[in-house]
Amino acid sequence: MTWSKGGTICFFFLNRKAGKESRVSVLRTSLGPSPLNSSQAILSSNTTLFHCKNQLQQKCNAFKRKPSVFLGENQYQEVIMDTQEQELEDIELFQKHVSDRFTELSSPPEDDALLSVSWLHRLLDVFLCCEAEFEAILIMDRDPSQLSKPPFDRLIPEFIERAVKALDICNAVANGVDSVRHCQKLSEIVISALDQNPLGDGHAKRAKKALLMLLSAMNLDDKEGTHVKATERSWSFGRRGVNKEQIAGHFRSLSWQVAKNWSSAKQIQSMIYNLVAPRGAEASGLPSPIYTMNVIMIFVMWALVAAIPCQERNGLPTHFPVPKQLNWAHSLIGLQEKIADEWKKKEKKGMSGLLDELQKMEKLAQSLIDFTDSFHFPGDAEKVKEAAANVSELKEIFGRMDQGLTPLQMHIREVFHRIVRSRTEFLDVLEKGSAPVV
Amino acid sequence: MDGCQSGVPTYEGDLHVVAAAHHIVKALGATKNLSDDLRKILIDLDSHLSMITSNIDSKGGRGLVDVEERLDQAERKIMRWETDPMMIWDSGPKEASDYLEAVDETGKLVDGLRGLSVHENRKQKEILHRAMNILQMAMSRLEEELIHILVRHGQQFEPKHMYSRSIRKDIVYDESFVSVEDEPIKETSSRNYSNDESGECIVDLVHADVIPDIKSIAKVMFSSNYGPEFCEAFISVQKEALEQYFSFLGTENLSIEDVLKMEWTCLSSKMNKWTWSMKIIVRVYLASEKQLCDQVLGGLGSVSSYCFLEISKATILCLLNFGEAVAMGPHRPEKLLRLLDMYETLACLLRDIDTLFSEEAGSFIQLQFHELLERLGESAIAAFEAFRVAISSNGSLYPFAGGGVHPLNKYVMNYIRMFPEYCNTLNLLLKNQHPGVADQVTEPDYGLDASLLTSCPMAYHLRSITSCLESNLHKKSQLYKDEALQHIFLMNNIHYLVQKVKGSELRLFFGDEWIRKHNAMFQQHAMNYERATWSSVVSFLKDDNPGSSSMSKSTFKERCKGFSVAFEEVYKTQTSWSIPDPELREDLRISTSLKVVLAYRTFLGRNLAYTDDKCVKHTVEHVENSLLDLFEGSSRSLRNSRRW
Repeated sequence: MTWSKGGTICFFFLNRKAGKESRVSVLRTSLGPSPLNSSQAILSSNTTLFHCKNQLQQKCNAFKRKPSVFLGENQYQEVIMDTQEQELEDIELFQKHVSDRFTELSSPPEDDALLSVSWLHRLLDVFLCCEAEFEAILIMDRDPSQLSKPPFDRLIPEFIERAVKALDICNAVANGVDSVRHCQKLSEIVISALDQNPLGDGHAKRAKKALLMLLSAMNLDDKEGTHVKATERSWSFGRRGVNKEQIAGHFRSLSWQVAKNWSSAKQIQSMIYNLVAPRGAEASGLPSPIYTMNVIMIFVMWALVAAIPCQERNGLPTHFPVPKQLNWAHSLIGLQEKIADEWKKKEKKGMSGLLDELQKMEKLAQSLIDFTDSFHFPGDAEKVKEAAANVSELKEIFGRMDQGLTPLQMHIREVFHRIVRSRTEFLDVLEKGSAPVV
Repeated sequence: MDGCQSGVPTYEGDLHVVAAAHHIVKALGATKNLSDDLRKILIDLDSHLSMITSNIDSKGGRGLVDVEERLDQAERKIMRWETDPMMIWDSGPKEASDYLEAVDETGKLVDGLRGLSVHENRKQKEILHRAMNILQMAMSRLEEELIHILVRHGQQFEPKHMYSRSIRKDIVYDESFVSVEDEPIKETSSRNYSNDESGECIVDLVHADVIPDIKSIAKVMFSSNYGPEFCEAFISVQKEALEQYFSFLGTENLSIEDVLKMEWTCLSSKMNKWTWSMKIIVRVYLASEKQLCDQVLGGLGSVSSYCFLEISKATILCLLNFGEAVAMGPHRPEKLLRLLDMYETLACLLRDIDTLFSEEAGSFIQLQFHELLERLGESAIAAFEAFRVAISSNGSLYPFAGGGVHPLNKYVMNYIRMFPEYCNTLNLLLKNQHPGVADQVTEPDYGLDASLLTSCPMAYHLRSITSCLESNLHKKSQLYKDEALQHIFLMNNIHYLVQKVKGSELRLFFGDEWIRKHNAMFQQHAMNYERATWSSVVSFLKDDNPGSSSMSKSTFKERCKGFSVAFEEVYKTQTSWSIPDPELREDLRISTSLKVVLAYRTFLGRNLAYTDDKCVKHTVEHVENSLLDLFEGSSRSLRNSRRW
């Protein structure tokens, strides 16, 4: 993993009363005090995380099964009280971390614009961190049978179902990153054609050809079907007797699809469906972190779909309800509103994606195409100068994509694998919980 | 050499350089011990340099004019095709090579003029500008020609085993434990293709005749810095071709959600198809694609592997995703064999993948591949465990009618009969399941050495599966109220177990000892049956006073009656019992006959005086014949029957 920029410090504050450690803080101690950076840290943390879970599990099992051996009845009561109190504290801490992380996300540093490649990296990091902590709270040190009782027998399967939907989104988005990479490759041609002094008609023609391909590649994203492809490219060779049907233009390939008729917009909709914030007594107990994690997962997947071209985004919801009075949700709601506004603009203008780099690239491509259209050697000095500025900006964007896109794809894959693993963990717990006690 | 070809030496300095170079080449050529290759290169160089010199000599200082003339010529050749509806490479080799020559010439002129651009010269700039324009036009044209050639000469191939496979009927095991009957299963033959038939074979994805054409286009485009355009066009055509082939194989993209929801029969056939397509795609298609990339783009550094990766990545990830989805699904016992198929496929393709994606950029694919392999292995183990659990927990409320071979037994034995084919894989996967067993094992490949086979991890697990099965069958036998029927049931089932083991490769894993023990077991049940059923019946025929010659008539009458009532009762019940195996049935009848008929005959023989009496209801022959009706699985009665 080469990506190291913009990582979030993800683990966990040691803030417990003397002599007691929460699940969350145990995690932190086992991971060492150094500020952990980005995905690399997460990767290395997995094994430690599970190792540490096991240890704790053993400790707790010994406790729970034979309380009378170790403790008097009163003391045992105290332990139970303590555990409940502990749990509330853990939940609170988890939500504080969620809040902190999203606050950090919503005020990005200068060079890290909202929905830029590096911002997406940070978003994925946030997801991975929250997910690890969430899993720790819910699974570690817990009697599995508790999670198979209401309301968890409904909440957890629902969460797992959403997780599966998220997996398909990960794949769709990873495919989408490939099409962004394609744009990046085309922009490379544009750059090498226009980065010339003096600029000739040949260069301009070369650039124009690449620019047209670039724009058509950008704007294909939401359209279904492959008919667009041949005609899109036919401008370059339509006059000859070539069988257009056979010619591969910049078609949206089959591998771009997650499945036939699959729609990322619908997928997000179905993830939102049925999501209700816990009320009453549930609002302060374990159901609340489950809700929080659901919201985080939906938000992250939604933001990815909004940012990166992927299969059928028409009708992507611009809003999903998160109660404003929830403290941890403030920043998240703020981000949601910002992104939703962007998305609405996009839908109006028909732009290709909210990915910062892609938007900028599109704008530059538009103005460069105007330039190449009207260019005649030796060209208007002022315009040539302006184009050169555009090219150097394009170069800068190309550089950022070149650095960030492939790692982004891997990062998404990492999220994918993490969701798979956590789903397995939850299924295991459910299975254990529902199995008759032997 | 390319540097020497820029053919525009218009200035004195250049002349001197050319002359000096010529001199050196001549001197080098005179050296005696040169390799043939090197000598050839020097000769080429020599003639090339003389040509340049003679050009300059004959035309004197007319440098730029000469360049312009050459450009005019090249332009005419290139422009001619701009209005021609024909594709150049379709028009003939001469046309194509003329065109390439003109492009090459233009390229050289551009290079030459660029090299001189320090000298500010309006005329020269103009010519350069024009040359670049022409070059752009030509490059654009070459791109079209490239796409046209790739599409027109792209070749579809049909995997030869496509047909042999479609005949094959998939046997689908499901959870019900009832779908399997004892038909001989030719699973072995259908699996063979995996090992030999699809062995590496490389096909021409693009007709071999046009490879040099593509290569020459690549060469001229790359040398004019139009490499990205070449790659762009090449990748998009080849990628689409691969995807077309992918759907031609009948493989479709499925979302994870779909796979998880899929019914087992459907999923099973998709898993089969996956195993098969994976092999063809990797072993045949991708190997061929790699070769094509290397043929066309070899010598251009990492370009070839870059193009290969871009062409194949999406399809490979698609295939891997299906694997992920399958590994993620519930670990049902019936999935085991299909999972093992998938595992073995990946395992045997691992080396191919590592070679195909050996460059750093491809390591992502390698990694995904290795991870999936691991996950499929875990799933297979989980399915194996689920299989064991399913066997132990398969419960019934009612006894299985007739005491025949229980469907669970049939299912399990027919299923595990296929395990030996996966011996090495199962051993590898199961090795770590029980550390105690792993210790005994040092040799990873067990071959067919009988002494080793019985102690491999798989053998251990097989025996543990059958012992689960046995204890479940014992539990099921307790459902019968009749003790004799319990024994018939166990005899039948253990006999079946032994037969299945003996009649297949399983015997190598279970070993003679196991077979002996189980043979003894079902024989014991047979004996127990005889005791339970016939002891009381035969007891009527016993001679209480072996010393005296005969019993009283009333005793005889009583005994006779007692015997026939008991016999009829047995007949009525046990004709409905079933011993499916004819030999076993026959054996049991014979041994019963020996016991019962012999005792009856002796009994009657001793009391010959009374035998004409009506009280002898059944003759010895009647009894003997009636015994033949037992265990046929349909209830009969002797009382009302008028068979004799």
